[in-house]
Amino acid sequence: MIMIYSLYILNRAGGLIYQKDFNKGLKKITTNDYLILSGILHGVHAIASNISPPSAIPSTIYNNPSFTNTNKSGLKSIETDFFKMFIFQSLTGIKFVLITSNNPISKEPENINTSNPDSFSSSDISINRNINETESILRKIYALYSDYVMKNPFYSLEMPIRCDLFDLKLTDLIKSFSQP
Amino acid sequence: MSSKSYKSLSDDIWKNRVDKINSEVFTLTYGSIVAQLCRDFTYAEVNTQLEKMGYNIGLRLVEEFFAKTGLGRCTSFKDTSEVISKIGFKMFLNITPTVTNWSGDGKQFSLILDDNPLTDFVELPEDNNAANELWYSNVLCGVLRGCLEMVQLDCDVYFVSDVLRGDPITEMRLKLNKFLKDEVPAGEE
Amino acid sequence: MSYYLAVIGTMDNPIYELEFGTFKQQNNGKSLLNQKQLELIPFIINSSLDLIEDLQWKFNKNYFKNYDNFNNNFYKLSCYLTFGNMKLILLHQLDDNLKNDDNIKQFLFEINELYVKTMLNPFYNVNEKIKSEAFDLKVKAVARKYL
Repeated sequence: MIMIYSLYILNRAGGLIYQKDFNKGLKKITTNDYLILSGILHGVHAIASNISPPSAIPSTIYNNPSFTNTNKSGLKSIETDFFKMFIFQSLTGIKFVLITSNNPISKEPENINTSNPDSFSSSDISINRNINETESILRKIYALYSDYVMKNPFYSLEMPIRCDLFDLKLTDLIKSFSQP
Repeated sequence: MSSKSYKSLSDDIWKNRVDKINSEVFTLTYGSIVAQLCRDFTYAEVNTQLEKMGYNIGLRLVEEFFAKTGLGRCTSFKDTSEVISKIGFKMFLNITPTVTNWSGDGKQFSLILDDNPLTDFVELPEDNNAANELWYSNVLCGVLRGCLEMVQLDCDVYFVSDVLRGDPITEMRLKLNKFLKDEVPAGEE
Repeated sequence: MSYYLAVIGTMDNPIYELEFGTFKQQNNGKSLLNQKQLELIPFIINSSLDLIEDLQWKFNKNYFKNYDNFNNNFYKLSCYLTFGNMKLILLHQLDDNLKNDDNIKQFLFEINELYVKTMLNPFYNVNEKIKSEAFDLKVKAVARKYL
């Protein structure tokens, strides 16, 4: 069962427009630090898209008729001992950065750090599987974003999201996801 | 994706995933907006205002479109025209306009709307040359322009003829100006 | 047989008026009213408005058949009262004893439908004169069908 730690939403220019922590145990950093963090992510994502060798870019990503992730050659995910981070991008350039826990209930050994760097395929498969698991969460988050943020007439595009309904619905969604 | 699969996708979305509203409420709401604008501005200004309103709607509506359909980038402008007419219009207005009149370079096409839910029961006032100046459904032009701009296509959308004005058909023309390459989000090739 | 249709607004103002004759029995729909009779008709209709307003509170119905007559049944008036207090009044002059009360009722019901459609036009304000030619044509078509 994956636990969602936090969600960051970045606008097209890379500025942070939404940030929320869902786990009370996380240490708080200042707002400025959040902005810096998101700026770094945006930059690294763009740089990665230029560095990625053409052979590593899949021609079609799992053609799921639910959400098309336009993040083909940019930074897709980061895995550490403590958390996993996934970056999704919509066709309009909005990035959703999801930070989740390491999946404890997994049949394959999750020691990605110490795994053989040549064995791309196995870690690749597990990364893809984890992306698939977060896919369903992301689809729902994107639907909530398009409903409660976009349809709020007082919300200006690319600005920080200050919509109470979006917060509420998001918290409900994450809660329902964390409960087995 | 083929044309047939677009049709089945849009039928499925319209049936299951879209909230519906009474068409008369919708028509009357839009009608009262236009009527009030006509009282406040001249007909030329009303056209601009409707287009602006549509533009703002389009910027936001496009996310809803992607959230519901999950489609990816279209491969060509022809593909775009199919998606607009078969899925976009079907999802939001339950109509399927026909795509015709492609220009030689493939950058312009027309949408012919057979019936327009915005104009049910509407008759333009016979005075003050409303029939010569007002494009009643101009909001649709703005919506299309806004949506296409969010996917990095700079287009001009305008009405060519309108049944309300006495023309035989309602026709909108879409012209692709350029593909905004600089604004394509990083990570897409 | 000649008819005169008048739509009267909530402030007793006429919104639409049409005179026509019967289309039955190969008549061409031209009214047979002469100039003097034509001048009198708006007065007749206006004076009958009070009667309608009395009747509407006495009876719980909105179609009044032959509620008034003029000159010893020379002219008879029927009225359909819409739910927005608009009066669709038909003045009919009997030249012979054609029984067509039902037709009048259906005619007025159809005129009500046309009126509702006019109300749905966003450019039309309540109590405004109906200037649309389309409405005129449709009324004439309905008249051809029923009267």
